[in-house]
Amino acid sequence: MDLSILFGWAFLVPLLPALAFVIIGIWGQRLGRLEHGGWIAVLLSGAAMVLGVLIAVGEMLSPNSYTDVSYTWFHVSASGPFANGVSFVVGTLVDPISALMLIVVTVVGFLVMLYSVGYMHHDEGLPRYYALLSLFLTAMLGVVLADNLLEFFLFWELVGVCSYFLIGFYWRKPSASSAAKEAFLVTRIGDVMFLLGIFIYFSVYAMTGPNGGWAANGFLFVHGSTSFIPIGASGNSTLLTVAGLMLLGGAAGKSAQFPLDVWLPDAMEGPTTVSALIHAATMVAAGVYLLVVGSIFLGGYTSIVLFAIVAVGGFTTFYAATMAVVNTDIKRVIAYSTISQLGYMVLAVGAGFALVGLYHLFTHAFFKALLFLAAGAIIHTIVTQDLFRMGGLAKKMRYTSIAFLIGALALSGIPPFAGFWSKDDVLASVYSQLGAHPEYWPFFILAFVTVFLTAYYIFRVYFLAFSGERTRDASLPEAHEVPWVMLVPMMVLAGFAVVAGLFVFVPSFGSLFTGVPGLATNVPPSYGPTDLVLSAISVTLAGAGIVLAWVLWGNGRVYELPAGSPAHSIRNLLLARYHVKAAYDWVGMVGMYTVARAADFFDRFVIDGAVKGFERSFRSMSDSMRRIQTGLVSDYAAYVVAGIIAVFVLLLFVAPYLASVFGGG
Amino acid sequence: MDFSTLPIIPITLGTLAVGTVLTFASGRWARWVALATSVVFLLEIGLMFLGYTGWPGRSSTLVPQFGEYQSYPWISLSWLQINFTVGIDGISLILILLTGFLQIATVVYTWNETKRPAAWFGLVLMTCLGSFGVFVSLDILLFFLFWEAVLVPMFFIIGYWGGPNRRYAALKFFVYTHVASIVMLIGLLALVFYSGASSFDFSSIYSAARGLTGIVPVVLFLSLFFGFGVKFPIVPFHTWLPDAHVEAPTGGSVLLAGLLLKLGGYGLIRWAVIILPTTLTQVDPILFFVAFLSIVWGAVLSLSQRDLKRMIAYSSINHMGIVLLAISLNSALGLTAAVLLMFAHGVVSALLFMGAGTFHHTYGTRDIPSVGGINSRTPILASLIMIGSLASLGLPALISFPAEFAALLATWDGLTYLVLIPLIGLVVTAAFYIWMMQRVLFGPPKGIPSDAHDVPPAEGLGMGMLAALAVIFGVLPFLLVNVITMSPITGWHG
Amino acid sequence: MTTLAITGFLALSFALFAIAIFGILTRRNFILLLVSLEIGMNAAILNFVYFAALAPANTGSTSGLSGQSIAVVLIGFAATEIAVGLAIVLALNRSKGSINVADSTTLRS
Repeated sequence: MDLSILFGWAFLVPLLPALAFVIIGIWGQRLGRLEHGGWIAVLLSGAAMVLGVLIAVGEMLSPNSYTDVSYTWFHVSASGPFANGVSFVVGTLVDPISALMLIVVTVVGFLVMLYSVGYMHHDEGLPRYYALLSLFLTAMLGVVLADNLLEFFLFWELVGVCSYFLIGFYWRKPSASSAAKEAFLVTRIGDVMFLLGIFIYFSVYAMTGPNGGWAANGFLFVHGSTSFIPIGASGNSTLLTVAGLMLLGGAAGKSAQFPLDVWLPDAMEGPTTVSALIHAATMVAAGVYLLVVGSIFLGGYTSIVLFAIVAVGGFTTFYAATMAVVNTDIKRVIAYSTISQLGYMVLAVGAGFALVGLYHLFTHAFFKALLFLAAGAIIHTIVTQDLFRMGGLAKKMRYTSIAFLIGALALSGIPPFAGFWSKDDVLASVYSQLGAHPEYWPFFILAFVTVFLTAYYIFRVYFLAFSGERTRDASLPEAHEVPWVMLVPMMVLAGFAVVAGLFVFVPSFGSLFTGVPGLATNVPPSYGPTDLVLSAISVTLAGAGIVLAWVLWGNGRVYELPAGSPAHSIRNLLLARYHVKAAYDWVGMVGMYTVARAADFFDRFVIDGAVKGFERSFRSMSDSMRRIQTGLVSDYAAYVVAGIIAVFVLLLFVAPYLASVFGGG
Repeated sequence: MDFSTLPIIPITLGTLAVGTVLTFASGRWARWVALATSVVFLLEIGLMFLGYTGWPGRSSTLVPQFGEYQSYPWISLSWLQINFTVGIDGISLILILLTGFLQIATVVYTWNETKRPAAWFGLVLMTCLGSFGVFVSLDILLFFLFWEAVLVPMFFIIGYWGGPNRRYAALKFFVYTHVASIVMLIGLLALVFYSGASSFDFSSIYSAARGLTGIVPVVLFLSLFFGFGVKFPIVPFHTWLPDAHVEAPTGGSVLLAGLLLKLGGYGLIRWAVIILPTTLTQVDPILFFVAFLSIVWGAVLSLSQRDLKRMIAYSSINHMGIVLLAISLNSALGLTAAVLLMFAHGVVSALLFMGAGTFHHTYGTRDIPSVGGINSRTPILASLIMIGSLASLGLPALISFPAEFAALLATWDGLTYLVLIPLIGLVVTAAFYIWMMQRVLFGPPKGIPSDAHDVPPAEGLGMGMLAALAVIFGVLPFLLVNVITMSPITGWHG
Repeated sequence: MTTLAITGFLALSFALFAIAIFGILTRRNFILLLVSLEIGMNAAILNFVYFAALAPANTGSTSGLSGQSIAVVLIGFAATEIAVGLAIVLALNRSKGSINVADSTTLRS
């Protein structure tokens, strides 16, 4: 069967959830029996999933095909010497990487939507929830299918605003609205950098049009095997370096890489389902996807940019994992693990293996969504996120505990679970570059150490929540297994978390990773002798982490570190997130606001003061002038006489003198 | 029927004038007369669009060309020729459309005005009449008459319906802008007499001004820039704006931000940039500097405001700074973006000021820190303020996005890395809107009086119209861009 | 006529006008002000008559009597002026109880 006829209909994939957004947005309040539109959202995202997966399969069956359908959004015509006519286009591009992302986004999106029907059942504001979640999916699918940078940015911003509303879903809570604000503003910093990057790429690549002007379709991704522009081809490598760094800034904002990572842990204020979607398939994936797109379609990165990407990714991997080690909030631990895992993906892109990063994004999406949904199941039944109050849940929530265990094993990188294949592939890819780039060594080591930390912190969560006899806090509600509508999505995701890493060994699926010519790829992993040694070491490290977690927390007890000890102060530093968040707050709330207040003072008292002073000087001048208005007729008559005399003097003496000087008539 | 033969502009001027007079005279029926006038005005704008497809139409011999053009001799002396010349091209048509939308939205929003309604609606219509006149006039005297005619109703709107300090604000507004008008008038007259134009017509000045060289056009340009710039307003000649906005009634703020600021932008394009394009390239460092200053100053000051209206007023300074920047770039893309941005800002700031007005009489204050969590009591008002804020900070699918994107792209093209200044401005803009939303819309309810009700129907309808416009043109910007670029936007460079 | 006569007449007019100006500037009594105004006006009328008699051809009038006729018109004007002035005096006296101009400064605001 030829599925490629569907490629032209790819625009329907984002439009189906958009339809759900419109329907629920308008009639949501009257759809009480359909879970306030929840089932409509499920239905339409399910339809989007079917279409998206079919398109992805079609792409697998016709490897390395690029199908672009684009329309002009608006066009500024040009004539005369300023030949700056430019088209702003929107369209869809179906290619190997967008096909892969289609699978991730639609499958995870659909499962989260289904899970929400159970999880959100008792909440208020459900129409708003389902409408926004649908729009969130639309926006992410728009990013995935975008065929040009403008459209990419458009949907990218839409992703940002949807996440703003969803993080702030419980808007009555001050912490939720504060977290939403933080997420929006921190990613906005990245966004404007991305915008600058777009402009630079535009001027570098679109200047190749006729007459040296901008090509009409200047924003379109250059695609097809012959169109790749090698770095420096246009002699603009400085520009390209800046552009690449700006792209990295944008990606760091959305994918929560250091130093723009502060918003993601606070984004836990939203419903857990939203966290699952943000962390697995939508928001944070967009940043990595942007870096991958940059590698493939924007002519790659210069060496400075690549090093910056490696540094950011490698450092973030370790930095976030350390903070996850001590946290006692189940969602925050998983959030830090997301930042850490995103670091791996970014690291892979920086090492020159963009597709390996994408591979890890693919597997990570499933097991991270799984972890969040399982955590959501726990929160749903016992209404707390505090690990120290949980315990003994394995007995009450058997399926949830199995699902969480599978997710934890996948995250730790234990074979044959999904995380093992992709994470090892990342490490092996970076290792293969160490010979040519010895400056990558520190980041490689950090990433390697993180394997141990990852296994430790996720199994610490597992043991704290599930082992033991019963919950440590007796006041919590009785735990029970969650309904099937929540279990089914977890089971499906668990299945993916087991096998998704192996998909790449299927040739047609693997073709998604090999179809991009000219780009180094290490997917599926080749497993030479070195790779096997690396795998052995990383699995040993992960095992050690699990064992340590079992030794410390496996008995279901909790301990407090003695106050004043070095370990205690380190823990406090980690809980305070290295004070980065405090620094942001200080700069934002104190620094900026003080500057703004000072500017306001200046505006009121100096600029407007000058205006008022001008007014006052006129007033005092007229005050002094009106003193000659005595009201006495004789005085006025005297002025008239004086005026007449003055005119005579002018005419008789001054005018002839001036005429004699200037020679006039 | 062939609409292109209709002298549509004089007809529209006539109906607007008749409608205004009737509104003043019709007592308690004034709002219906005003509404009817607004609807007729919109229909006439529709006819203009219909006629416009026939561009270049009958004026094809003129340089630059106009879509609609009528000229009648007015004052003929041996040394002076003044004509009643009106015309529209893409730039003015977009702004006329904005005038029509804002007029009907203001009339609907202030439907229940109780304080001398006949005078109120008459003055609203008079403001729109003046603005329309400014946008169509192609003769210096006519232009100046309409330009000044806008000041008078706005003076009374602020001075009679305004807040506690209204007399000061009205006087400041009037004197400040009037002084600028004088400078502008001197500049325009000097333009005629120095260039030796045969009449006060735009076209004759346009062709005569090609011959100006040396310091004269520079001085002329700068005086025109000052004259139009105060209306923008440009920093540091902006302090009349926050005062006027704070004291003005809601309808006055809407017209002030939506229309009056656009007069400055339009005037700068029509009478300075198009007529003296080569001079612009000589003085553009000054314009860029002023634009950057306005962008940064407006954004930073918005951040520190406690008064909702003052905050929006300063954000207007920021946005009009981007407009000025885009105009000064002297490129087709920049100019298109500037006009689009003016339309966008007209709609969005009007929506925001309406939101602030409704907020004020629902909660009895405009002080941002003292009211919170209004989403729980007045969700519709909160949503409308939210749409306005998001549109204003440039989110996609809302109207400012394509305009700002194009403007910034044009800035990169013209000034490369200096584009960082407006980009940083974007971050600050997002910061103060999002912060305001966090404090006012979200969080636990605070400072909410027990009798607070959600938006009254008339006000909701007025705001709803503008919100719908923001979405429609945000998704389909080509509806506007195609009209703008139909005019020979670059023809006058060559 | 001789040049002596011209100078004499002009000197007379000038003297009259100077007296009038002096009166206008120094008198506070409204009636004396009016008298001073009349004196000043008569100085102007005298000039008209004198110049008309001196050079009828130069006045541009075909009849040669234009200066004299203007003098007659001016005398009429002076009469109306006095009438209006006296009316103001009466009104002032009625409202202020005084005809001293220093008492009537309300136009000053």
